[in-house]
Amino acid sequence: MEARSHGPAALTAVGLAPHAMRRQRLGDTLFRGLTQSFAIGVLLLLGAVIAALAAGSVTAFQKFGLGFLVSETWNPVKEVFGALPAIYGTVVTSLIAMLLAVPVAFGIAVFLTELCPRALRRPIGVLVELLAAIPSVIYGVWGLFVMAPVLQTTLQPALIDTLGNVPIVGALFSGAPYGLGILTAGLILAVMVLPFVAAVTRDVFMTVPAMLRESAYGMGATTAEVVRAIVIPHSRIGIVGGVMLGLGRALGETMAVTFVIGNNHHITASLLAPGTTISATLANEFTEAVSDTYTSSLIALGLILFVITFIVLGAANFLLWRLSAKDGA
Amino acid sequence: MTYEIQPIETSASPRPRLIQMPAVEPPKPTVAQAKEAADQAQAKVEIKDLRFYYKAYEALKGINLTLHDKRVTAFIGPSGCGKSTLLRVLNRIYELYPDQRATGEVLVDGQDILDPRQDLNLLRARIGMVFQKPTPFPMSIYDNVAFGVRLYERLGPRRLDERVEEALRRAALWDEVKDKLRESGLSLSGGQQQRLCIARAVAVKPEILLLDEPASALDPISTQRIEELIADLKSDYCIVIVTHNMQQAARSSDYTAFMYLGQMIEFDTTETIFTHPKERQTEDYITGRFG
Repeated sequence: MEARSHGPAALTAVGLAPHAMRRQRLGDTLFRGLTQSFAIGVLLLLGAVIAALAAGSVTAFQKFGLGFLVSETWNPVKEVFGALPAIYGTVVTSLIAMLLAVPVAFGIAVFLTELCPRALRRPIGVLVELLAAIPSVIYGVWGLFVMAPVLQTTLQPALIDTLGNVPIVGALFSGAPYGLGILTAGLILAVMVLPFVAAVTRDVFMTVPAMLRESAYGMGATTAEVVRAIVIPHSRIGIVGGVMLGLGRALGETMAVTFVIGNNHHITASLLAPGTTISATLANEFTEAVSDTYTSSLIALGLILFVITFIVLGAANFLLWRLSAKDGA
Repeated sequence: MTYEIQPIETSASPRPRLIQMPAVEPPKPTVAQAKEAADQAQAKVEIKDLRFYYKAYEALKGINLTLHDKRVTAFIGPSGCGKSTLLRVLNRIYELYPDQRATGEVLVDGQDILDPRQDLNLLRARIGMVFQKPTPFPMSIYDNVAFGVRLYERLGPRRLDERVEEALRRAALWDEVKDKLRESGLSLSGGQQQRLCIARAVAVKPEILLLDEPASALDPISTQRIEELIADLKSDYCIVIVTHNMQQAARSSDYTAFMYLGQMIEFDTTETIFTHPKERQTEDYITGRFG
């Protein structure tokens, strides 16, 4: 009997009375319940959004079937809708943005971590991050009034005269220089995405252990060789994360794109021609959508965007999983 | 990090005099040392009045030292005494950091490597370095060893294979990895990773090997293998090893340099340092009275 009571007695002897211990346990339980409810709440919200999008798009999919995904028609008067031009514009502008932004972001990150004089490191880093702080509507206005006219008179004619004459690729750079269009939207997106990719890439480059870096330099490697063989492979998982973050932003970006894309529901081979994206279509046309079919088609577009970003996220996770599996560590 | 900075204890420094080892070796009382003299160890590196600064802090205060070819020289001393710093001067790896600089002369085969005109990449290809912790590169075992070779030599695939095998055999790792050369270097154990790093350093056929506490992160068995490896590599290289482990210094080195607070207190054959040190501080340190 005595021996059995020894345990609790020893514990309380430390200074905690039984009622204090109960109170602590209660506090822990409450705390866990609270944080758990936050986490579950977000999941429920996500579920509710998906459910609302799915329910809202039922009318459109009933009327147009899966043909909605591949139809190029967008006729509010006759109430015939197809999502393909918007999907095409969304994917292509994002690809252009990533194609342009990722190499530049890499360059910035390499410069800031490997080559930049220490005194300039912080100022330049902060300035790059400030790019991300500019509201997207300002990018849009700037794109419309400043960048588009400049592109129309300089870059676009130059592209038409040079790359436009190359077989196959030439189709991408044919036609008239409108100023507004897919390419302009891609360029704006590139500028907007750049700070995210650059900041994440710089941060993961900085996680490369000093000793690992020194061993590579100690072998007689140059900065370029160290970056290529050590820094990038070592931080590739973080890089994938940064690129996907940028891609997610590019896919969903609405305001700036709406200003400069030209809002044209047709797929044109030329990148210089006006087009549209899912988010630009939604922003432009929600106020005009009076009929059920029109509204439902727009909601269906939203659902498609949701699915696209979900696929991108899933692909990123798959890639990360493959990379870490390959490390075997 | 690879180095520690300790505040200067004003009471302990500056020392009244600096022990300078003559380039000519002192008289050898024992048989072993006489035999060594007969080997005619050649001076490979001559360090003259070397001073080193982290910003304004003087971490090395006029070091004079000769390192012999085909011999192992151990740097011992308490943390922050400057032994790792001295090692980092020899391949000028400190230049990665803008606040660090060195003055004086470091002559390798008579040529001053501190000369600003010295090509750093070529210098580092001649002088291999192994760190406290294993630093395998994020690539396959084969590519790890071939990394440095590919930087400076254009070898055909077969000759490169031979070089990799030779280096891995040299590092006593070949038998353990020959069937998985394509696997990641990160998949090896800590001791294997460190031997991989030694193989990587050896593969470029350097003249000098710098080992910065190469066994400090390893278990006793791996440590023993590294020490055997050092004994074996000594026949071809000028080896410098920084160590906190007195037994390791005594076992694996021919010469020992005792450093304290940025100064070279005593330099002699390892046997002399561990049996008849001339300086009181050296004796106190190796007998464990401080450090």
